[in-house]
Amino acid sequence: MPPRELPLAGQELKVDPQQVRRTILDILYRSGSSHLGPSMSIVEILIAIYASVDCEKIRASDPDRDRVIISKGHGAAAVYAVLYHYGLLTAEELATYCQNNSRLAGHVSHATPGVEHSTGALGHGLSVAVGCALGLRANGSSAKVHCLVGDGEMQEGSIWEAVMLAGHCRLNNLIVYVDDNRISSIGWTKDSVEVNPLEDKLQAFQFDVTRVDGHDLSALSQAITACGHNGRPFAIICDTIKGRGIPFAEHNNLWHYRSLNAQDYAQALKALEGS
Amino acid sequence: MREQIAKALFDLMARDESVYFLTGDMGYNLVERFEEAYPDRFLNVGVAEQNLIGVAAGLCNTGFRPFVYSISNFLVHRCLEQVRNDVVLHDYPVVLLGTGAGFDNGPLGATHLMLDDIGVVRALAKLEIYCPGDVGYGEALPERLLKRGKPAYVRIPKISFRLADGRPDDVLLLPAKAPQVLLIAYGAMVEPCLQVANRYDHVSMLIMNRVYPFDQTLMHQVLNEHRRAIVVEDHFAPSGLFGMLCQFCMHEGLAVRLESLAPEEHYPLTIGKRDYLNQLNGLDVAGIERAVLRDTR
Repeated sequence: MPPRELPLAGQELKVDPQQVRRTILDILYRSGSSHLGPSMSIVEILIAIYASVDCEKIRASDPDRDRVIISKGHGAAAVYAVLYHYGLLTAEELATYCQNNSRLAGHVSHATPGVEHSTGALGHGLSVAVGCALGLRANGSSAKVHCLVGDGEMQEGSIWEAVMLAGHCRLNNLIVYVDDNRISSIGWTKDSVEVNPLEDKLQAFQFDVTRVDGHDLSALSQAITACGHNGRPFAIICDTIKGRGIPFAEHNNLWHYRSLNAQDYAQALKALEGS
Repeated sequence: MREQIAKALFDLMARDESVYFLTGDMGYNLVERFEEAYPDRFLNVGVAEQNLIGVAAGLCNTGFRPFVYSISNFLVHRCLEQVRNDVVLHDYPVVLLGTGAGFDNGPLGATHLMLDDIGVVRALAKLEIYCPGDVGYGEALPERLLKRGKPAYVRIPKISFRLADGRPDDVLLLPAKAPQVLLIAYGAMVEPCLQVANRYDHVSMLIMNRVYPFDQTLMHQVLNEHRRAIVVEDHFAPSGLFGMLCQFCMHEGLAVRLESLAPEEHYPLTIGKRDYLNQLNGLDVAGIERAVLRDTR
């Protein structure tokens, strides 16, 4: 089955979770790439983040722009798809995802327009986000720093180094989103090292914390609006489903690694159309 | 050297408001002045070196120019992936100021010996490596690095040696009257090598204040003018300057005989003060002189 043509920007293009999921399917299928599961779990989180920032400032690399740091870099397909739906990435460039001579790597790369920082090795992005938050505050900027981490990534020691400093410095311009899909690379997070209860842990590190349905755009947007009012960094723990929207991939860590064949692709598209 | 570099950096912070000082809870009786004078551009991130490097990268992203201070193994060994991914990959001009070069922390044991740090950072693409061999060069370094705007590692030796007529050159050749043997040194090895070179008319001296990158044209010319070259370093030879110059000589097809005077490649479990361990490894004046004369006797 040939992959669909990507719609050109401005034509039938909406920032709609199901449309974004279709775009993710398209680029994963075109490229024969993996990371379907961790991409599908963060769609609504990314849409909510980019809805809250000034995309024009990001496009212009304005020093006063909000910073979006994707620490779980393996969600690249979702990030590029959302950037495309927000008009920060062209259809032509998106179509090169994971192809030879492309800038669009399988882990987010700052060579890609709109991507602030390259990640892929886990446990890096939050420290960089803390540095950005310190820098913006020192510059007197009102810009915010949004950092997306995975629940499995919370097992990295460096994450807690960054969390500790953010709380200590009372970085109320920092929002940390935890994609709590409960599955890490090869199994359930709780079966390797349990990271929950994240609320208690992050509160102990001087964060304000809320937990929301990570697939509920309205709840996510409300949570973002509430951040920073208590002079503390803010964590939004997002209950999500790995592989969300694709029934055969939901809660199934096989789809961290497997790439779609023609039958999978057709079945996944059909599932999205029916939802 | 540490004190003079700190003083130069302190003065630089008064002139340039983008300079930011970061420490990972190191620098007792050194960093306090930074916190007092520049509280908005000083941060002790605590004993958390991976975070230290990531924070430095984030500060660069927002326009600051961080100088990051700690003992070298905490900066380059502990957080090599942060240095590679968050700093070098993004070409952020973070300056890593590392102490404890060579055997400087000899009494503290093998975990605190810095005999492989150059090899570790040299493995990364385009991270510049500075190993000042005289205080004058060290004093000029903060401003030079600020202007240069590249990721850099500075290996600070525990020395107070100052070249009488020193110039802040990255590479400085002191030619012999009748050049036959070339001593090549950096950091703490510069002073004893100079003492030896000054005793003989046939021994030249090449001071490598910047170990990487080096001026290839100059290096080619200098090596060609000597029959023997001895790399003297308080670092393992294969991953140190000797290894780099072996590659260079092979690549350039140079006929010079390249020799190494360096510690044996292992992590010693017996301790000692810096001078004792240097002497044990032939890195004192007598040992360097023996190496020079070995050929001519």
